[in-house]
Amino acid sequence: MAQEKSMAVSEFLSNAELLKQGAEARVYRTKFLGKPTILKERFPKRYRHPVLDEKLTHRRTVQEVRSILRCRKAGISTPVVYFVDYTTHCIFLEEIVGSLTVRDHIASAQQPGSCADAELEQLAKRIGQILAKMHDEDVIHGDLTTSNMLLRRRPENKESDLVLIDFGLSYNSALPEDKGVDLYVLEKAFLSTHPNTESLFEKLLKSYAASSKRSAAVIKKLDEVRLRGRKRSMVG
Amino acid sequence: MTVVIGFEGSANKIGIGIIRDGEVLSNPRRTYITPPGQGFMPSDTARHHRAVILTVLKEALEQAGLKPADIDCVAYTKGPGMGAPLVTVALVARTVAQLWGKPLLGVNHCIGHIEMGRLITQANNPTVLYVSGGNTQVIAYSERRYRIFGETIDIAVGNCLDRFARVIKISNDPSPGYNIEQMAKKGSQYVELPYTVKGMDVSFSGILSYIEEVAHKMLSSGQCAAEDLCFSLQETLFSMLVEITERAMAHCGSQEVLIVGGVGCNLRLQEMMGVMCKERGAKLFATDERFCIDNGAMIAQAGWEMFRSGQVTELEDSWITQRYRTDEVEVTWRD
Amino acid sequence: MDFTRELELFPDHKVTQLLFKDVKNSRELRQCAVEGKISGALINPTMLVNPFQVLVAANKAVHSQKSGKMKTRSLYSEIIFNLSPTNNISEAFKRFGISDGDDSVMVVLVYDRNESPSLSNIVAKVDGQQVPVGDLSSLSNLTKIKQLYKVTPQEEKCGTLLDAVVCRMASKDVV
Repeated sequence: MAQEKSMAVSEFLSNAELLKQGAEARVYRTKFLGKPTILKERFPKRYRHPVLDEKLTHRRTVQEVRSILRCRKAGISTPVVYFVDYTTHCIFLEEIVGSLTVRDHIASAQQPGSCADAELEQLAKRIGQILAKMHDEDVIHGDLTTSNMLLRRRPENKESDLVLIDFGLSYNSALPEDKGVDLYVLEKAFLSTHPNTESLFEKLLKSYAASSKRSAAVIKKLDEVRLRGRKRSMVG
Repeated sequence: MTVVIGFEGSANKIGIGIIRDGEVLSNPRRTYITPPGQGFMPSDTARHHRAVILTVLKEALEQAGLKPADIDCVAYTKGPGMGAPLVTVALVARTVAQLWGKPLLGVNHCIGHIEMGRLITQANNPTVLYVSGGNTQVIAYSERRYRIFGETIDIAVGNCLDRFARVIKISNDPSPGYNIEQMAKKGSQYVELPYTVKGMDVSFSGILSYIEEVAHKMLSSGQCAAEDLCFSLQETLFSMLVEITERAMAHCGSQEVLIVGGVGCNLRLQEMMGVMCKERGAKLFATDERFCIDNGAMIAQAGWEMFRSGQVTELEDSWITQRYRTDEVEVTWRD
Repeated sequence: MDFTRELELFPDHKVTQLLFKDVKNSRELRQCAVEGKISGALINPTMLVNPFQVLVAANKAVHSQKSGKMKTRSLYSEIIFNLSPTNNISEAFKRFGISDGDDSVMVVLVYDRNESPSLSNIVAKVDGQQVPVGDLSSLSNLTKIKQLYKVTPQEEKCGTLLDAVVCRMASKDVV
């Protein structure tokens, strides 16, 4: 029985358009029940022990679904989950049509001649607000990068929506330490991906601090984690 | 032709290597080995380096068949590393540079690993996994810096392995990591350990404290053997490393991986990384213990690149620093 | 009038939806379904936002059936169960199945694509007026739907009510 089903999924996948192979999953673009859909397949990673692989893959599929729902309930835009197959670890998600990653957006705004500083600052502010809201819900994203944030243009709105994606490494926690590390991960990804954006990231953090009720303890932890990095002895 | 001699002694190895335009002419090395259950202390390590450095220097010149007059530049490790051993080696480098009348160059140790790896493997623009006793970083080059995309948020992977070795008293000869690797080959039972990946970052301290707590209980109750713990620890740590490397590759759109640093000569790590690379059509580059483990030639090679791009370190600037991040260095020798 | 779609994931399966209003024999219909005289799911359309919601439930039901993981006894009861945001089976039937006094009904059929089910047979059994499935929204009881699915006002700012409903249906196994 199970075999029949996985045949169905694998046959379906063979006709879908492979968009990319991330570290976590293969990502396909397809149609599901008539809707433009992104299919995330967490295929077995043969480099790791099968017991570890199954544990991680299952946990991440479940966490992705849980955190998406939690975020949406709090009014944070994330793709809608249409269907989950926990045996092949496939998630069918709403495709955010006509969207652009924040990463690509910043990269194009940083091109010489593009004087979009004020607009980028506005975006940094919005990112800070949304992350504050997410952390206030005790959702830790676990893999914050500018590639995991999408801008969805809505013709009816002047401002585009900010959509968070890729919740595979997410989990629930109220600890300031976990939230601080979440921001630290973003800071490193942000600054290494977008050289010379230190002041932009500062704006993001400021807005985070101003938006979250519990930001003081989180920012304190962020400073601690940064210091740990700098103080590490790095011998050998 | 440019000939550079490199002095390395930031941890428990002391090495001096000579490079002539990409050719390793000599690369002798000594290791300070401590008894099982003990790590190496800075002052003892410095004493060891002091005792052997002139012998190693003599070997380096003899094996290369060169006289001091043939050297164009003296490179030494400026940091990061342990203070006392760094000072010892820098002192000798400064002295010979003045005796021989040659320019000095202070080199970032991590950059040394990367440039040596690139030289030996001919990897062009790889995502670099730098794993050693003191460092765990995923690095990629862009806009004149080796940028750190991921790293450990607490202890280094090599440190985690070394401290585990001390817990169950595995020999430090030739290195704790090597002995864990050999024992792991005989392990078969997979013991579940914490697994902590945060985006492109990792954390090892939770695994270490967990295994420190349970190891003796599990071993004395016969629940598993020491070999099984070695096996499970390697499987867990290396899975995390491969995962963050793959995430950085996906993030940067890179199709090459280079593994450098002392832990990088672990064949199981290389094998796992190879499987990952094959799955995504990427290429793996790795080196053996001669160049993975700290050595003098890597400092010479990074020095060679820096020297050729016009850099020198004035005597008054030839200090050392225990903390020196990879991304602090402006890479003047790459586009 | 009726709305038929193939399930992409199970291409040999088709789903047909038929919508009726001014229904006078809901009690009788329910009895037919219990006795297996109607092979279809009878759904209370006031709890539906959009036909897509039914497709999501049907796709999941076929998937559960094929993998031997159904929570209820038949494919049709499974569709009704899948519409519910909770894992309480009797609650699901009470809210999403039809009750004796209901004056509208959505009939859902799942069949092999080589079969052609007799729709006229269904239409003949219902004492009511068949309307286009596209008119579903005129029957939806939005207040009750929001209440039952616990849709928050913030959530409606970042997506449609259908999004909120479907997301809960798809994630209920792990929440």
